[in-house]
Amino acid sequence: MAARRAISHPFLLFSVLIAHAVMLVLVVLSFGVTHEVIKLACYVLAADFFGSVLLQLVQREACTVDTVLLLVLGMSTIYQSCFGGLAFASKHFIVGMASFFIAQLSYLLVRNPYTAEKLKPLWYTMFFGLVGAIIFLTGSRSMWIDLGFITLQPSEFVKPVFVLICASSIGTQLRKSEIAGFHFVPDNLMLIFCTAVIAGLQWWCRDLGSLPTFVAAAGCGILLRFCYLREKVSVRLTVFLAACAVALVIAAWNLAPAYVQERLHTDIWADMSGSGYQQVKALTAIAEGGWFGKGAGNGTLINVAASRTDIVFSSICEEWGLFTGLMTIVLVLFLPASVITVPPRSYYHSGLAVGVAAVFMVQMALNIFGSCNLIPFTGVTIPFISQGGSSMLSSGILAGFLKAAQAPVLTNRLAAQKKGGR
Amino acid sequence: MARQRPDLDISAPRSMQRAGKFTGLLLLLFSAALVYLAWTLVTKSPYYMAKSGGTTYGKVLDRSGDVLFDGTQSLSNYPAGQFADVGSLIGDTSGQMSNTIVARNIGELANYSFLYGNGGTTLLNTTLSHTANKTVWNAFGAKNGTAIAYNWKTGEVLICLSKPCIDIAQGYANLDSMPSGSLLCKAFYPTVPGSTQKVSTLIAAYEKCGIKKVNALEFSCSGSWVNASGGQINCHLSSGHGMQNLSEAFANSCNPYFAQLVQSEMLPLSALIETYTRMGYSVNGEEAEPLTMDGITIPAASTTLTDKNEFETQWGALGQGKTLVSPFQLMLWEGAIANGSGSAIKPYLLSSKTDTDGNVTKLGGLKPTAQMFSAEAAAAVRDIMTENAANHYAWAFGSRRCGVKSGTAQVRTDGKEYENSFLTGFCLDDDCPVAFCVMIEERTSSDVSAPQIAGTLLNAAAAALAE
Amino acid sequence: MDLTVLFEQYPYLREAITAAAVIFVNLCALFILIAAKRERRFDDRHWIRESRGYMLVCGDQAYSLGAAEVLIGRHPAADIRFPDTEISRFHALLSLSDGQWRIEDIGAQNGVLVNGRRIHKPCILHQNDAITIGKRRLIVVKGAEGRD
Repeated sequence: MAARRAISHPFLLFSVLIAHAVMLVLVVLSFGVTHEVIKLACYVLAADFFGSVLLQLVQREACTVDTVLLLVLGMSTIYQSCFGGLAFASKHFIVGMASFFIAQLSYLLVRNPYTAEKLKPLWYTMFFGLVGAIIFLTGSRSMWIDLGFITLQPSEFVKPVFVLICASSIGTQLRKSEIAGFHFVPDNLMLIFCTAVIAGLQWWCRDLGSLPTFVAAAGCGILLRFCYLREKVSVRLTVFLAACAVALVIAAWNLAPAYVQERLHTDIWADMSGSGYQQVKALTAIAEGGWFGKGAGNGTLINVAASRTDIVFSSICEEWGLFTGLMTIVLVLFLPASVITVPPRSYYHSGLAVGVAAVFMVQMALNIFGSCNLIPFTGVTIPFISQGGSSMLSSGILAGFLKAAQAPVLTNRLAAQKKGGR
Repeated sequence: MARQRPDLDISAPRSMQRAGKFTGLLLLLFSAALVYLAWTLVTKSPYYMAKSGGTTYGKVLDRSGDVLFDGTQSLSNYPAGQFADVGSLIGDTSGQMSNTIVARNIGELANYSFLYGNGGTTLLNTTLSHTANKTVWNAFGAKNGTAIAYNWKTGEVLICLSKPCIDIAQGYANLDSMPSGSLLCKAFYPTVPGSTQKVSTLIAAYEKCGIKKVNALEFSCSGSWVNASGGQINCHLSSGHGMQNLSEAFANSCNPYFAQLVQSEMLPLSALIETYTRMGYSVNGEEAEPLTMDGITIPAASTTLTDKNEFETQWGALGQGKTLVSPFQLMLWEGAIANGSGSAIKPYLLSSKTDTDGNVTKLGGLKPTAQMFSAEAAAAVRDIMTENAANHYAWAFGSRRCGVKSGTAQVRTDGKEYENSFLTGFCLDDDCPVAFCVMIEERTSSDVSAPQIAGTLLNAAAAALAE
Repeated sequence: MDLTVLFEQYPYLREAITAAAVIFVNLCALFILIAAKRERRFDDRHWIRESRGYMLVCGDQAYSLGAAEVLIGRHPAADIRFPDTEISRFHALLSLSDGQWRIEDIGAQNGVLVNGRRIHKPCILHQNDAITIGKRRLIVVKGAEGRD
C-alpha cells in the first residue's frame, strides 16, 4: 500500500527546520549577522535536528503532536529571544527542550490506557501530595516553592494530574458501590471531591486565575461520563447542563470576592496608569505593530510587567505583527485538534485528550482574550509560548497525553510493541 | 467453516466519537472568538492609539474646507477667533469635554491605520458652514444663547453654536473665570421650552380629535383663567385676547386657550401622553431613548403629566414648569413638520472621512427617524405655523415661506428669575430647506429678538447652501 | 552588514519579507495537516493489525469492534445493543489488549457463554468463536478488507 504511506517524517521535520530558518532570516534582517544571532540560529536548528533524530529512533508514530511541538517550541524561543532586543533566551530554550523530553516520558507513561487507569490511586496520591505542597510549602499563599536555583509552581503540575483524574473508562463507570441504598460510582465521587478541593484551594490562595482551567477540565470529564452512558444525549439533558453551566458562571460572577469583582468591572481606559496599565499597553502595542509588526527586537512592551508571560501575545504581535501572532495561536491549536484527525481508540485516552484540549484552550483564551480586554485579565500562560518553567513542563506532560491518544499501545509485550510500531 | 465475511468496519463507537466532536466544538468556539478578537483589534486600533496618546490627530473641516479643529499643529497658528464659535461643539483632544464631535470620534480622527501605522493626516469633513455659523454668532451681539439649523431634506447640520463658548485656541488655563456653560453646547441639553411646547400639544390634539374639529375650536381668554382644580393660568397679555379660534390663539400664544384645550373632554390625558411619548418625551419618569448625532448624546425631552385638571400638568403642556426639551429636539420636530410626513431626516454633522491614505469614506446619509406623529397632523401644524409666520413675522423673513412658533421660557435658577426667548420653525423655500431653533438667554425687550436672529440665520444658511 | 539603508530605500520590503516568512510557516503547517490526514489512514491500518480485524456477526448484522473497549447489553449506552429481556442492561465487556480480544461477564444475570461454556473470568476470543448472550449467538469473524 505505497499510496497510503504517511508523509515522510524526515521531510516533515525538514520543513520545520526551513520554517525556523525563514524566521531566523527575519531576525537577521533586524539585527544583522551578529554573534548572538548565530548562537540563536545554531541552538534552534540543532534542536530541530536532534529532535528529529530522537523521534526517528524512539517512536515513529503520532508525528503530528511532536512536529507541532518542535515547530512551536522553536518559534517561541525565537520570539522570546528577540523581545526588545536580541538576547538568546537560554532558560526558555532549555525548559522548552525539557518539556519536549517530558512529553515523550509522559507518553510512555500513559500510552497504555489500561495501565494508566489502573494507576489512578497513584494520581490521587500525587494530587493530594501537590495540594499539600501548595498548602504547606509555598510561602504565604504565593503558590511558589523557592528551591534556590529554580522556583516551582506546584499548582501548574496539578493540571496534568487533574486531567488524569478527570478521564475515565466505561469499565470504571460500570463499577458501582452502594452505601445506604444509594448507588454511586466511586470514580465520579472522587472527581467531584478533587474538583471541590482544588476550587477551595484556589479560593484560599486568592488565585482564581487558573480556576476556570480546572473547572473546564472537570466539566469535560463529567460531560464525557454522561456521553459514554447515553446513546443519545437528550435535548433535556443538554439544556440542563447548559443551564447549570450558565448558573455557575453567573453565581461565580456575582459571588466573587471583592478583589475579583474589582477586576471584573475595570474600565481599563478610565484607569490607564493604574489597574488598566498592562492591558492598555498590550492593546496599544498590537495597534502599533499592525499586520506585519515593527520587526524583531523593535518592541517596547518589554518594559511592561509580564511582557513575556501574561501579555506575550501582544509582545509577539508588536514585533512580528498580528498576522504572525494569530498564526502562532493556530499552530498551538493544532495540538488539541489532533484528536479530530486521529480519533482515540479507548475511553480513557479520549477522556485525556478532551481534558487536555479543554486545559489548553481555556488557558489560551484567558490569556489572549484577557490581555486584549474582551474578558477579565488573569495571570495565566499560553502553553509553550509564555515564559515559565513550571507551566512549560506541565504543558509538555499534557502534550504527551495527546500523543498517547494518537498512538495507544494496548500491550505490554516488547515484541508486539515493535510489530505494532512499524 | 464458510461463514459470510462482512466488510471490515473499524469505526469507533458513537459514544467515543463524541470526544472528537466535542473537541471540534471547543475549537470552533475558540476560532470564532479569535476571529472576533482580530476584527476588534483591527477596527478599534485607532481608538487604542488615540487613547494612549500614541498618535497624532487630523483636522476637522467645515463644508467648504475651513478648519474647525487641527490636531497636526498648534491652534495658535490660526487667526484669533478661528475656533471661538465651535469650541463646545467640535471640541478638542484635551479630554476636557466629553460630548463633542472630536471626543466622540477620537478613533476616527487618529492619523493611524492598522496596515500602515502612524502618518499622514486624517480629515473629518463636516456639513457645518463656518461662515454662516459666525454670522449667526455675531447676530447674538452681547447676548448668550444657542442656535441650531439643519437641512430638513438632507439632514446636514449647517449651523450649530452655543454662547458663551470656550476658545480652544486659548486653552483651559483660565477655566475658573470662564462663564458657566462655556464647555457644553446648549443646543444638546434640555431646557424649559416655553410656548414652543404648544406645537407638541397641538399635534396631540390634531391626532386625537381630527384637524377640522380642532381648527374650529374656540375658547375665550380674559387675561387669566382658573382651572377645574382652582389653579390660575395667566396669559402674557393681561387684558386678555377675548374669544379666539385655534389659529389666532396659536399666533397669540395664548396660555388660557391651550390650558382649556388640555382640560377639555375631547383631549384625554392618555392621548396627550401617548403622542408625547411617540415624539420622544420621557413622560412621568418613563425611560426614553436619548437622541444621538455622530456619537454626541442628546438627552431626551421630559415632562410630567399627571392630572389634566391640575395646574402642574397644564403648565407642563404649555412648556413651562417641569417640561424640558433640547433645542436639537425642537429642531428635529420642525424637520418632521416641514416635510409634512411626521418623520424627520436625522441630522448629522460628519459627512465623510478622508483617511491617511486618501481614501474617502462616507459617514452621514439620509436616515429617517421613526414616525413621531401622523402626516396629517404634521401637514396641519405646518399650515398653522406658516400662517403665523406670514401674518406676524414677515418683517423678519421678508419673502421667505416660513413657519414659526415663538416661546418664552420662565426660568428660575439659583434664586434668579429670567426669561429665555425661543423661536423654532422652518423654511420651505427650495433654496433654503432649513429647520431651526434659536434661543436667547435672559432676553429683555431692548435686546436683539429671536426672529431677527432667525432671519439672519436663514439668509446665512441659504448662502451656505448656494455655494 | 547594515540593512537599514535598504529598508529606507524600499519602504515595504520588510513587510513583504515578513509576509513571505509567514506564508512559509503556514506552508509548514499545511504539511503537518496533510501528514495528520495521512496518519489517520496509517492509524487505521495499525488498528486493523492490532485488533486483528475482528468483528462480531449476529445473523445478518455485523458489529464493528472499533475501540479497545466494547460494551454489550440492553442499555442504550451499549455499543452493541440488544433489546431482549434475557440480556442484562450491561451484560458483557469486550476488551483488546496484547493483541487479543477478551470477553468479560460484567454482572449478567443469565451469564455469557463462549463456545457453549459459561465463563467466570475474562476469556480470550479466537476467530469463529461463538458467544452466546441470552438467545443471541455472536460469531467472531475477521472482516473482509476492501481493496482500493
